[in-house]
Amino acid sequence: MTRRVCLHDVSVAAVLAILATTVIVKCAAQAAPRLPGELAWILGYDPKTFDPAKVDDIDSETVRYLTGGVLLRINRLTQKVEPRLAQSWNLSPDGKIIVFKMRPGLRFSDGSSLTSRDAAWSIRRVLLPATAAPVADEFVNPGGVRVETPDPATVIVHLPQRVIGIAKVFDEIAIEPADRPSEGRVTSGPFVVADYLRSQYVRLRRNPDYWENGSNGVSIPYASGVRLDIVNNPEQEIRLFLRGEYDLIDHISPDYFELLRKKAPSTVRDLGPSLNTEQMWFNQSPAAPLPAWERSWFQQRAFRVAVSEAIHRDDLARIAYQGHATPAYSFISPANRIWYNQNLSAPHTDITAARAALARAGFRWVGSRLEDAAGHPVRFSILTNAGNAARQKMATLIQQDLAALGMEVNVVALDFPALVERLMHSQDYEACLLGLENVDPEPNAMMNVWLSSSPNHQWNPSEKIPATPWEAEIDHDMNLQATSLADTVRRQAIDRVQQIVADQQPFIYLVYPNVLVAVSPRIEGVEPAVLEPELIWNVEQLRLGSSR
Amino acid sequence: MNSHRLPTWLLVGLVLIAMAIVVRPGASYSRQNRDQLLTDASARHPAGTDALGRDRLERVSAALLLSLTGALAAAAVTTAAAAGVGTLAAFAGGAVGWMVMLVCDVFLALPWLFLLMMVRSALPLNTSPGHSAAITFLVLAALGWPACARAVYQGACDLKNSEWMLQARAAGLRRPQVVRHVVPNLLPLLLPQFLVCVPAFVMAEANLGALGLGIGEPLPSWGGDAARAR
Repeated sequence: MTRRVCLHDVSVAAVLAILATTVIVKCAAQAAPRLPGELAWILGYDPKTFDPAKVDDIDSETVRYLTGGVLLRINRLTQKVEPRLAQSWNLSPDGKIIVFKMRPGLRFSDGSSLTSRDAAWSIRRVLLPATAAPVADEFVNPGGVRVETPDPATVIVHLPQRVIGIAKVFDEIAIEPADRPSEGRVTSGPFVVADYLRSQYVRLRRNPDYWENGSNGVSIPYASGVRLDIVNNPEQEIRLFLRGEYDLIDHISPDYFELLRKKAPSTVRDLGPSLNTEQMWFNQSPAAPLPAWERSWFQQRAFRVAVSEAIHRDDLARIAYQGHATPAYSFISPANRIWYNQNLSAPHTDITAARAALARAGFRWVGSRLEDAAGHPVRFSILTNAGNAARQKMATLIQQDLAALGMEVNVVALDFPALVERLMHSQDYEACLLGLENVDPEPNAMMNVWLSSSPNHQWNPSEKIPATPWEAEIDHDMNLQATSLADTVRRQAIDRVQQIVADQQPFIYLVYPNVLVAVSPRIEGVEPAVLEPELIWNVEQLRLGSSR
Repeated sequence: MNSHRLPTWLLVGLVLIAMAIVVRPGASYSRQNRDQLLTDASARHPAGTDALGRDRLERVSAALLLSLTGALAAAAVTTAAAAGVGTLAAFAGGAVGWMVMLVCDVFLALPWLFLLMMVRSALPLNTSPGHSAAITFLVLAALGWPACARAVYQGACDLKNSEWMLQARAAGLRRPQVVRHVVPNLLPLLLPQFLVCVPAFVMAEANLGALGLGIGEPLPSWGGDAARAR
């Protein structure tokens, strides 16, 4: 008996020790106290790298954005390019030569001077194959790029061919001290990496030699530093935000947004549609293991348009996203101010028109069931990824919408690897509902989706020649916008592609999820934008208000 | 009423109530009322509606019936398989018995959740929700027998070495006759195994549903509805 009691005591002690260790480790994650004037929010995971040239994940990207000085920056609010370390810049008429004039008196955070040599070295470094910088691919032919520095204030970049949206590429190249890469410890951006504790936090401190001054002549950034806690738990993030530990949250899901709205209504903001799209499409690939009659439905424009007309997009936005999404009819969101086609004519919800279109295409109703001309009942599955509640809700709503046309739809949720296997390899699926994340407003970034030869041309990947005249037209217009030097020609080409897609419905666009964020009322200077990073794009201007 | 019968009667009562709710005229667990989302309890919807405007009480009741029916059938299949395998291993003995139990141990070591996911992803996509539910429970049954078989094996070994069995064999009872006597003697062991499997399968299906991999819409599932309610 005595022995059993001892064992019991040991077990209890062990459990208590484990609990205590867990509590200590958990507390340690938030142990770093907030320094005066310091901003705080979270990173989902540890940054994979602090080397700005090798950034390939969102968390490293955040650190680079906060620490890296760049020649040009996209103003996330106006969506226009603005000079930063460069005082001015000029692109030659043929789009192959870019000349940057550097600001005078620039310094790195260690006090050393920043000249064109440092800028050229940083650009050359990302172009080197040995660096394996993801941004190098955006130069299309990085090996052929030449960088010259005729004087300490001038950098000239010679491109072997014109690159659409080249200015945006320089938004991603942090200028580092030549021959002294420091992984964020010596920077030309607003902040410098001061401390990093794996799985706990990254601490940044203000760059005392940052070039920019605030509107009142005060040196910026206003914040003394930034603490980025590494937390991958939305509940914990919200709890600590409500306690005042964190100052802002971006990318909130509609569920958590509503939760926050109930508890702290003044903190949440719905910024309207994002650049991202949610869409469904039918598998039109000849390689797909589908019955010929079924593929023929999917290849008929009338069938796709009827499906599109039967979907109540307002309900999808209202129910699946709790009102925090915007009905979508095009691959370019209204948030993309430059490229969105406001005159687009797209099929809207109209069940009568949908039924008439199906009848004209030879479909008929037997009772309430829809059949094709050969008597095959119209029955198919919509595939989506498991774990995404909004998509599964949308699929279930569409299931009922299409039942009104007599179509029998199965909703199938698969884990992501199984889904990708079917989409990219076996092509064994009928219809799919997924989303596309667009971080770049430039439509040229979507070439890999629209060119018929692309493996990401989802409804019929890797076509040897365009399968339909309208796909050939899309190919032509996308290539035209990629090569044309005239903005008006590019604009017309993209408008045409939007209209063809709206007419043919290869992708049936459903909603643009809204950008949902939360900002502590103590923070001043926040100007939320729909482009990433939504809340911190003007981090130099952010500061804790006097109430703190 | 004996107190140990109370849970049985409660369960029977629940099933009867669920059946009454599901089969009453006008009931539909899948009908979406998009203007009545997440409503509170009312005379029309005694348990309110879910995020898609469907009656919660009808869905929970239908899910109970579906889940229980599936789990009972799967538990029956599992118990029968376990009885066969355990008895075979015990009475065959030697290399055959060892091999059978080795297979059993291998099955026990398999990560069942991943296996279920693999099987589910390999199913034809146009399988109807009803068939998909049946297949889900069939897969649960196919993966659930080894633990039960181990227990049956031990019980069958005890029977094999019992005095009455030795006497029966010494008296010239042939193998098929032996088995005929073994099965009724294993019933006290099989019944608890069967009853243990039922809630285990209900939970397994709910877990799959919570991961979004369970029974397909619009069929209701406790796990699926719980996942949507998060």
